[in-house]
Amino acid sequence: MSVAVAVRIARRELRGGLRGFYVFLACLALGVAAIAAVGSIRESIEAGLKREGALLLGGDAEMSLTYRHAEPAERAWMELIAVQVSEIVDFRSMVVVERDGETERGLTQVKGVDAAYPLYGTVELDPPMPLDQALAGNGAVMERVLADRMGLVPGDQFRLGSADYTLRAILLREPDGAGDGFGLGPRLILREAALEGSGLLAPGTLYETKYRLALPSGADLPALEARAVERFAGKGMRWRDARNGAPGMTRFVDRMASFLVLVGLAGLAVGGVGVSAAVRAYLDGKTEVIATLKTLGAEGRTILMAYLIQIGALAGLGIGIGLALGAALPLAAAPLMQAQLPVPVAVTVHVAPLAEAALYGVLTALLFTLWPLARTEEVRAAALFRDASGRVRGWPRPVYIAATGALAAALIGTAAAFSGVPKLALWAAFGIVAALGLLVLAAAGLRRLARRLARARMVRGRTSLRLALGAVGGPGGEAVSVVLSLGLGLSILAAIGQIDANLRGAIQQELPERAPAYFVVDIQPDQLAGFLERLNRDPGVSKVETAPMLRGVITQINGRPATEVAGDHWVIRGDRGITYADRPPEGTVVTAGEWWPEGYDGPPVMSFAQEEAREIGLRLGDAVTVNVLGRDITARITSFRDVDFSTAGIGFVVTLNDGALSGAPHTHIATIHAEPEAEAAILRDLASAYPNITAIRVRDALDRVAEVLSALAAAVAYGASATLVTGVIVLIGAAAAGERARIFESAVLKTVGAVRGQVLAYFALRSAMLGAAAGAVAILAGGLAGWAVMRFVMEGSYAFEPVSALAIVTGGAMATLLAGLGFAWRPLAARPARVLRGRE
Amino acid sequence: MTDPILSLADVTLTLAGNAGPVEILHGISLDVARGETLGLVGPSGSGKSSLLMLMGGLERASSGRVLALGQDLTAMNEDALARFRRQHMGVVFQSFHLIPTMTALENVATPLELAGHRDAFDRAAEELRSVGLGARIDHYPSQMSGGEQQRVALARAAAPRPHLLLADEPTGNLDGANGEAIMDLLFGLRDRHGATLVLVTHAPELAARCDRVVRLADGRIAGQDVRRAAE
Ligand SMILES: Nc1ncnc2c1ncn2[C@@H]1O[C@H](COP(=O)(O)OP(=O)(O)OP(=O)(O)O)[C@@H](O)[C@H]1O
Ligand SMILES: [Mg+2]
Repeated sequence: MSVAVAVRIARRELRGGLRGFYVFLACLALGVAAIAAVGSIRESIEAGLKREGALLLGGDAEMSLTYRHAEPAERAWMELIAVQVSEIVDFRSMVVVERDGETERGLTQVKGVDAAYPLYGTVELDPPMPLDQALAGNGAVMERVLADRMGLVPGDQFRLGSADYTLRAILLREPDGAGDGFGLGPRLILREAALEGSGLLAPGTLYETKYRLALPSGADLPALEARAVERFAGKGMRWRDARNGAPGMTRFVDRMASFLVLVGLAGLAVGGVGVSAAVRAYLDGKTEVIATLKTLGAEGRTILMAYLIQIGALAGLGIGIGLALGAALPLAAAPLMQAQLPVPVAVTVHVAPLAEAALYGVLTALLFTLWPLARTEEVRAAALFRDASGRVRGWPRPVYIAATGALAAALIGTAAAFSGVPKLALWAAFGIVAALGLLVLAAAGLRRLARRLARARMVRGRTSLRLALGAVGGPGGEAVSVVLSLGLGLSILAAIGQIDANLRGAIQQELPERAPAYFVVDIQPDQLAGFLERLNRDPGVSKVETAPMLRGVITQINGRPATEVAGDHWVIRGDRGITYADRPPEGTVVTAGEWWPEGYDGPPVMSFAQEEAREIGLRLGDAVTVNVLGRDITARITSFRDVDFSTAGIGFVVTLNDGALSGAPHTHIATIHAEPEAEAAILRDLASAYPNITAIRVRDALDRVAEVLSALAAAVAYGASATLVTGVIVLIGAAAAGERARIFESAVLKTVGAVRGQVLAYFALRSAMLGAAAGAVAILAGGLAGWAVMRFVMEGSYAFEPVSALAIVTGGAMATLLAGLGFAWRPLAARPARVLRGRE
Repeated sequence: MTDPILSLADVTLTLAGNAGPVEILHGISLDVARGETLGLVGPSGSGKSSLLMLMGGLERASSGRVLALGQDLTAMNEDALARFRRQHMGVVFQSFHLIPTMTALENVATPLELAGHRDAFDRAAEELRSVGLGARIDHYPSQMSGGEQQRVALARAAAPRPHLLLADEPTGNLDGANGEAIMDLLFGLRDRHGATLVLVTHAPELAARCDRVVRLADGRIAGQDVRRAAE
């Protein structure tokens, strides 16, 4: 073969311009643009987080402790390495306001700060004033949501524990807010010194201290971390520094972006179907050219090469447009992002995400054009003499099948590697491939059925219906490409709809039914008896569970650092609630080993949550070291038990025998199941008798979670809408490609006596059948995906959600109908002779 | 000729060509009597097909009047024309124009169905057999030869037993034997059902069997040969 000849042929063919390729270009450009934009935004946020790490963290480094302050010697060590040290205490509490004999209570995340706070940045207040001035004496500032909920304005008084404070200003922005992570309550800031006398930081209370260090410029962070870890070994200290100022945020952005890239890839797959259809239609139109070239002596390979060059050039153009859009979009949206996001954003053109998007684009273009291209080799010169419209049927040569497999593997592999969530990516790819398979089957089934029905007696006399059935079942590839592209887009939307509805349902309905009304923390041991007494005599209370709680970090497993054994498992990440018990609490199901005997007072022993133990790889008899209050306790695992974390009840991964922990200062937690009518009175009585305790209304907490979820769902919906737009473009493309055929059919039908109404009904029925088939598969595929995600990822139950499913199918059928009818207008208006003459 | 089935009075046709409007037919006046067989002959590009389209109401005359069965085709809208053709006319195109997504049987049955015949498919099958395509009933157009497609097109036009059959080179793609069969079919239609035929043809044998032959040149009627007066 001759490459030069191929290039010359390609160049001549490309002179025809881009007509017929707009759908091809749009599909590729849109998919690539979506992925490039998501990647660029992620990169922008992460670059911003990195650049502003110290600001977000509130210092160049932070050393935090649970339950305790730094000892003087420890503090001295910090002063030694730092230029300046700022101490913060962080805990949950309840703001109490009494007004006209009514008592209002609101959950809050309290930050007690010293005079050095904030080391970096400034706290913005309304009315504007220096933080010093706002916090002087018993002054405090809080977020507007909390002030509004409590009906407070600057100048008003409120109580926290058993001390009174004055709200001086509304907290607009704390520089280290994004680094603090997810709090269940709005923020309140006061001086740590002002907490004295509030009774809130009694021994055993859940609180955290954070020491922010301003380091000399050029400080070697990794070296300092190593020194700190060594100095504080076994003291329960956690180190963070400006290299990753907001790890929670980084993780969130990462996950979110990975997820959106997967959605973008799904969009690219939808686009791929359109690309494939466009190339097929183009090459079908070239059958005569190809046959002629072959008659003139061109080899199959030369022709394949010529068209490969053409399609490659066009794909390059589409991908280029996509990259330009994907890079420009974040730049254009930069002001908006900077205003809307609570984190700094460094918006520039980032090369890595563009390269990633381009790679996806190239692989997709190759994957979806290979088969139609391969068929050019098989067009025989005889096509000129037989029917020029006849398509080459059957499978392409094995080389191309193998190449297709390799390309698909490369695409999925790349997605798995780059997304950072390989398992999810693989499952998503599997889902998409399965959906495509299902759609191919559905399209084939539909054509079969239509062909059969078209012959059935019952449709005789219903000309429009028979024509529609004949067109769906007859030769021509339109049915397949419409069902495929629309069906895949709709399937993805349906899956998202199902998952979203089920998650929402789980959070808002199912959970609260089984979940307690209140979750209470910081009950001092001497308060427990009175606390239980108040609840047990209340007929509105159906169940109360309590457990002692301390917080501890799992530091070692069998003498090796826990992170080495368990990697990044959530159980060893940061500190966990840990409890102790003599007898197994009511309802405990021991799945392996045995609970220690009552009154056991030998060396420490432990019962571990079975599921988590399995994930980490723990066995009975393993030694686990837990650091509680700076003290290492090493215990042998003697049993595993079932722990259900999904009901918002009390669930501890680690339970120790009571001899091991009961000496340590600790508090109790409780869950209260109560009638809704009894809730208010319970809260009032408990909170006034025990001002130090914090009661979290589970429904409020769930609402917060639901809010976060809504934001997630909204982001995903944006991603999915790109998929939908691609689907609509493919649909319009298919309708446009079919327009010539429609015009011709309508002219012939009119010649043999069909009125416009009949022709229109025929077109409408045809579109509706294709739309309905795509929609039906979408419901099935969406339902399956929803079920799989709920069952295996969320480990929850699945219930089919009909509203969104129905909306999606109707939308799909309507879309095809509109696209079909939109393109039917011209055919109907045309005079038969004008149309038919052009084809003489 | 008292009651012509077709009557064209001073008809012109102007089409928008690339270099502006082109007048293709210039003031054609022509009557076709009931039961007559009219042949249209003339060099390529002389306007034969265009004239046939005008007679079938498939093209709108730029000026003049086209009366068919006493009705003015130039005044009818698309739907009225479609219904008129459904009841009275069959058209065979020079390049057949079968619908590619339909089998031969379906192509032939469609006009019968549109005309409200309950036994459309049986009649369509019968018609296909009569043009020698009994074995090709379930074939799609792309699976048939040119001549076979032409016979399907003829069956489609003839099946509803139209009063007026317009055929553009109905034997153009056929060999002697098949062309003969088609001619027999066409003239049988006339003899048995009293149909009027308008045939465009280059074939002398076909022209010879016509009652009258009208010769077109450059969009004008250049002459007529009357073989046999219409009764
Ligand atoms: N859409 C059009 N616009 C302008 N001119 C046209 C158009 N279609 C056809 N013509 C011209 O009209 C003239 C008559 O065409 P017509 O098809 O009626 O010829 P014909 O006699 O049937 O020829 P043939 O025997 O080759 O089929 C031709 O010169 C042709 O070039
Ligand atoms: Mg002609």
